[in-house]
Amino acid sequence: MSLELSGLVKSFRGPHGTQRAVDGVDLVIPRGEFVSMIGSSGCGKTTTLRLIAGLETPDSGSIVHEGREITHVPAARRGLRMMFQDYALFPHMTVGENVAFGLRVRAQRGRHSAAEIDRLVDEHLELVHLPGVRNRRPNELSGGQRQRVALARALVTRPDVLLFDEPLGALDAGLRRAMQFELKRLHAELGKTFIYVTHDQEEALAISDRIAVMHEGRVLQYAPPDEIYFQPTTRYVARFVGSTNLLDGELAGRDGALGAVRLRNGTVVRGLVATGLPDTKVSAMIRADRIDLVAEGPSAMLSGRVRERLFLGTHDEFQVDVDGLDVDLTVHMSRRRDASVAPGVGARVGLRWAEEDVRVLSD
Amino acid sequence: MSAEALAPIPDVRREARNAERRRLLLWLGPPAAWFAVFMLLPHLSLLYVSLGHMDYVDFVPGFSAANYVKIFTVEPYLGVTFKSFNNGLMTAVLASLIAYPLALWMAFGVSSARARALVSVLVILPWLASYMVKAYAWKTILGTQGVVNSLLVSAGVVAEPLETLMYSRFAVILTLTYIFTPFCVISIYAQLERIPPSLIEAARNLGATDLEILRRIVLPISIPGVFAGAVIVFSLAFSDFITSTLVGGPSDLMISSIMINLFGVSMDRPLASAIGFLMLALAAVLLVTMQWVEKRVQVRF
Repeated sequence: MSLELSGLVKSFRGPHGTQRAVDGVDLVIPRGEFVSMIGSSGCGKTTTLRLIAGLETPDSGSIVHEGREITHVPAARRGLRMMFQDYALFPHMTVGENVAFGLRVRAQRGRHSAAEIDRLVDEHLELVHLPGVRNRRPNELSGGQRQRVALARALVTRPDVLLFDEPLGALDAGLRRAMQFELKRLHAELGKTFIYVTHDQEEALAISDRIAVMHEGRVLQYAPPDEIYFQPTTRYVARFVGSTNLLDGELAGRDGALGAVRLRNGTVVRGLVATGLPDTKVSAMIRADRIDLVAEGPSAMLSGRVRERLFLGTHDEFQVDVDGLDVDLTVHMSRRRDASVAPGVGARVGLRWAEEDVRVLSD
Repeated sequence: MSAEALAPIPDVRREARNAERRRLLLWLGPPAAWFAVFMLLPHLSLLYVSLGHMDYVDFVPGFSAANYVKIFTVEPYLGVTFKSFNNGLMTAVLASLIAYPLALWMAFGVSSARARALVSVLVILPWLASYMVKAYAWKTILGTQGVVNSLLVSAGVVAEPLETLMYSRFAVILTLTYIFTPFCVISIYAQLERIPPSLIEAARNLGATDLEILRRIVLPISIPGVFAGAVIVFSLAFSDFITSTLVGGPSDLMISSIMINLFGVSMDRPLASAIGFLMLALAAVLLVTMQWVEKRVQVRF
């Protein structure tokens, strides 16, 4: 059982005429999975989430949850809980009243006794590691604490699906990391479906079972994180996720899963061909951490000159001006204990990689 | 280092402090002077006059509470004050009741920003018309030859034009409500606008119906705006005299009208001053109380 989106379309009337925020989204989200939707702002990820939550109505398409069509079911009766970017805690209520809100609405009246509500509120504040704040007001809490209260408020009604709209966007980096682990733990503990919207690809890679990369209202690729990272099917996905080099060229030939790309300087780069590649205009994609800097010579596939070198802690980043191409290649190399071994700015270097680390892509 | 060497330092500090003080005085001087000349002095002179009495046409200064005693013991002063108070209260309540749904619609029912701006202008627009014109407008609507009566007579609901529509307490409160409601709308709208849309979406997402959202989220957060608007309207309506003179009957005089008569016709300036001072004191007490209440119910995000 699962949540199925098919053919979802949603347009908004904006200052420049009608714009399709969501333009035919099909997604099957298996029950209990942690699915992220990522993309740059305006790609339709938040609108898709709001369509699932029932906060927007689609122009066409359908949403089916556990075999039940919910496309036009009011938000209040969908049983899906949403976490908002600004937490959306009710400022005039205490933390306890906030958490209990979903249990006290008319639709739930009579189902829980006052004592039971008390118990559930305490239980869920404990679950999010926030005991003893029941009687405080939201404005007395830190951002991370508010986040946890919002989570408890959503969880207390026992929804099957939790929707997250960039919930960690307002937190600082350290707290973000901690909350990512926390969400991962809760997901494993509760076994609920998490649908998570973020513009942060690293966050999505870290916490998701599956990622949908969206662009201009469509899903470009929907796959597990490692597949998104290592086997992107389009140039856009490759560029959006991770630090990537794209070398444009023409398809010079193919042999089964292998393809050869002739670059503008005549060099032929071989790599794995992405599924359904038709074009002659293609790109060879190589991750920055898959390229080795070697001495110039026959063993190097390309050669060039180091234009920039940045120390980034876990690794050095090199910008290499490649001979005969008007692009710089980005190369990540783990930091050597003795930094003088790594080539400095201005040094001539060769570039080498393994064929299986190259993907041949089109748009 | 010797103690003598350290000695000048406190002087430098004091100098800096004095400079700071002079600068503050420079900035605060003009508003403070304005306040003293145009607010404090007139009110003090009002108090001063109210403690004296008249000897035929001459004012005799004194230090007697006789005028205040008179207000509380001799009719019609206290009765009319109460009536005016009631009119003010009624106007404030009616204006709030009318304004709330309107402000609610402006904040949540009007989706495009342009439409919202247009509605805001429409709410404020009557304020560009003269007060007198607006009061007179109700005369033409409610009068015996007015729009309402003509309609009622031609529809056969009543045989004769209704006299009670015009020159009555009903007409006074209706007109006051019409004139002052925009204050309430603006005050309530300002509060509603502060409510982030995500709060309402979150409540809906948690299963609340529209009515529950209104009662449990929107109303508690916007109630300070209702109070603030009601206080402004009350103060204005309580002290109003033009409307009661234009559309009210002989028995609908408000306390301000009486005060004006005492000043202009009866030449009893001390008694008029006493009434004025009491009204000011009443308004001040009300404002301070409401401010306290508002602070208690104000929601901090």
